[in-house]
Amino acid sequence: MHSQPSVTASPDASRATSLRAVVVGLATSPRAGLVGVLLVLAAILTAAAGTHPDRVSGLPVNNFLNVYTLIQMATDASGFAIMGVGATIVIISGGIDLSVGAIFALSEVVMALVLREAGPLPPGATVALGLGTCLLVSLLCGLANGVMVIGLGVHPFIITLGMMWVLRGLAFVVSHAESILVPQALTHVAKASLGMGTALYPVPLLAMLAVTGIGGLYLRRTVAGRHIFAIGGNREAARYSGLSLDRIQLGVYVVSGLTAGIAAFLGAAFYGSATSSDANGYELYVIASAVVGGASLIGGKGSAVSAMLGALLIVTLRQAIRTLHLDQNYEWIIIGTAMIGAVVLDQGGSRLLARRMARRAMQTRSGREIS
Amino acid sequence: MTKSTTALALVAFVAACSGKQAPAADASKTFTIAMIAKSSTNPVFLSGRAGADSAAAELSKSSGVKVSIQWLTPPSEDGSVQAQRIAQAVNEGANAILLSASDIGKVIGAVNEAVDRGVPVMTFDSDVPGSKRFSFYGGDDAEIGKMVMAELAKQMGGRGKVAILAGNQNAPNLQKRVQGARDEAAKYPGMTVVNAFSHIETPQDAAAEVLRAQNAYPDIQGWAMIGGWALFTKALLTDLDPKKVKIVSVDGLPAELPYVETGLAPVLFAQPTFLWGYQSVKTIFDHVYLKHDVPARVPMELIRVSTDNLGTWARQLRDWGFTDVDPKYLALPK
Repeated sequence: MHSQPSVTASPDASRATSLRAVVVGLATSPRAGLVGVLLVLAAILTAAAGTHPDRVSGLPVNNFLNVYTLIQMATDASGFAIMGVGATIVIISGGIDLSVGAIFALSEVVMALVLREAGPLPPGATVALGLGTCLLVSLLCGLANGVMVIGLGVHPFIITLGMMWVLRGLAFVVSHAESILVPQALTHVAKASLGMGTALYPVPLLAMLAVTGIGGLYLRRTVAGRHIFAIGGNREAARYSGLSLDRIQLGVYVVSGLTAGIAAFLGAAFYGSATSSDANGYELYVIASAVVGGASLIGGKGSAVSAMLGALLIVTLRQAIRTLHLDQNYEWIIIGTAMIGAVVLDQGGSRLLARRMARRAMQTRSGREIS
Repeated sequence: MTKSTTALALVAFVAACSGKQAPAADASKTFTIAMIAKSSTNPVFLSGRAGADSAAAELSKSSGVKVSIQWLTPPSEDGSVQAQRIAQAVNEGANAILLSASDIGKVIGAVNEAVDRGVPVMTFDSDVPGSKRFSFYGGDDAEIGKMVMAELAKQMGGRGKVAILAGNQNAPNLQKRVQGARDEAAKYPGMTVVNAFSHIETPQDAAAEVLRAQNAYPDIQGWAMIGGWALFTKALLTDLDPKKVKIVSVDGLPAELPYVETGLAPVLFAQPTFLWGYQSVKTIFDHVYLKHDVPARVPMELIRVSTDNLGTWARQLRDWGFTDVDPKYLALPK
């Protein structure tokens, strides 16, 4: 039997209770496993990475645990994570979007062409026009995906697979396979140091956190977000509850497209150019981020924060391969293994939980019958 | 619980893969060059890596400084990933970077930042003009395209329908080669370029593209291949008739030698891909460690390979570390 906390407990005792509550809360959080993986992996890498002397002070710098590498990893993860939030929303609804890499490429290529056509503009106008173009193109692409999924009644896998090629082809045709430079004003935004110092660029990291935060709030704290879980969890029940399935489905593909547009703007601005081959194959990393983060491909389960953690895990695994000086061909094996492992373990865990719940329900029922 | 199990599995997997701990660098005794080529699945870059390792071993022996090559080439071509790898090399304390750029626009900022942070950059094969790199080792791509088409015209008597095998349409150096080939073809009124065919840069994709094009245009009599991808397979040896079709190609790796022997590709213009790494590493060491002046451009000459020098070329490939050279070519007198 648990003892109730005393109302006259000393400040030390209540601090200890609060600390215990925080630790227990973290440990039992659905994201505790992923955070744990990242921390353990980071510890291993820090221990194994070796050091190099700082170019200015000559002091030893850990090859992994240094601010440059950590910010760089966050930058590398930001594209996957931002698109991963969109992919998670689609997956929660029971759909899939394979076209995000192509939407990324088309959005940034069109943006670069529009900016080139517009000629010199004030920096603020350049950024606004660039961002607006990226978002508009990506929104239209998402809308097209959604309309076709609903209107044609074909599985989203096929629709978005087809759109992946269509949009990639469009990007190729409109860009003539050129690598189009984007104005410096965009790069100045994406590479703003925000007072952190030379060669430290936290904007992609901040954008990733912002999109994840907004995605998390949208999914957990809004009615629209709960509706997405509802149709992904049980489509028929959602229909009988009076939800507009078409409107919700359309919305998730638009959101997915928009996240690709945000990632495209950041990518083109950060690296300074746009080509039709950009983000080729990224859709798989994005889906991997969502799934490793715990999203269920059958719908009804997932979280924006977990998708971000999934992206960070993938990037950390990639970094591990290089930091530990492994043959980089292990990258695909590790990511593939991690993805399969995560899904299999997740499914196994869900089955185990369902069995336990069923057993408990039976025990409760038999207890009632005896009494 | 499931996530915790996943955590343990992943950590165990990575630990198992790691095998050994990365050595800690000591700047007073080591000199690390990060090599970032376009793609680690392209044999020409693996040859370049062998050259870089060979030069590093020689320099380590002769100078007393441990020169090491850190291979940071992405598995497939991606300019953004190259930019990430450049930043990673700087973050991990590389002394210099050797780069073949997949996309100039994507890497120019990273190259300039690396130089600004004190890490000199040299390019090979595919340059980053306008950047702060100190030197480039490679050929003139437009000239290479012209050379291939001029040789094809010679083989075909200046007449007939030809096609260009173009590789990755986004690679700036290949675009220049294609343009060079087109410009040269325009000098021959009897020749028509039916098209330039792009493809994923793997041997199978390239060979499949050639066969698709040949089926679509049965009257193609000549191929100007601005990269040797398709000839890294044996597919075209059986599917194309040397009496009807002639190929002139860039590259001259061991797998391509049977094409010279059969006359399907009477001439190859071999890039000394081994020297991409070998020459570049020596140039970097000379400039960065020994503080010598080096030219901003180190010219790379292509080697004309035909039945006249097949044996000599085969032995050169063997000496450069290629282990898959057919002994029958090694036994040829010249």
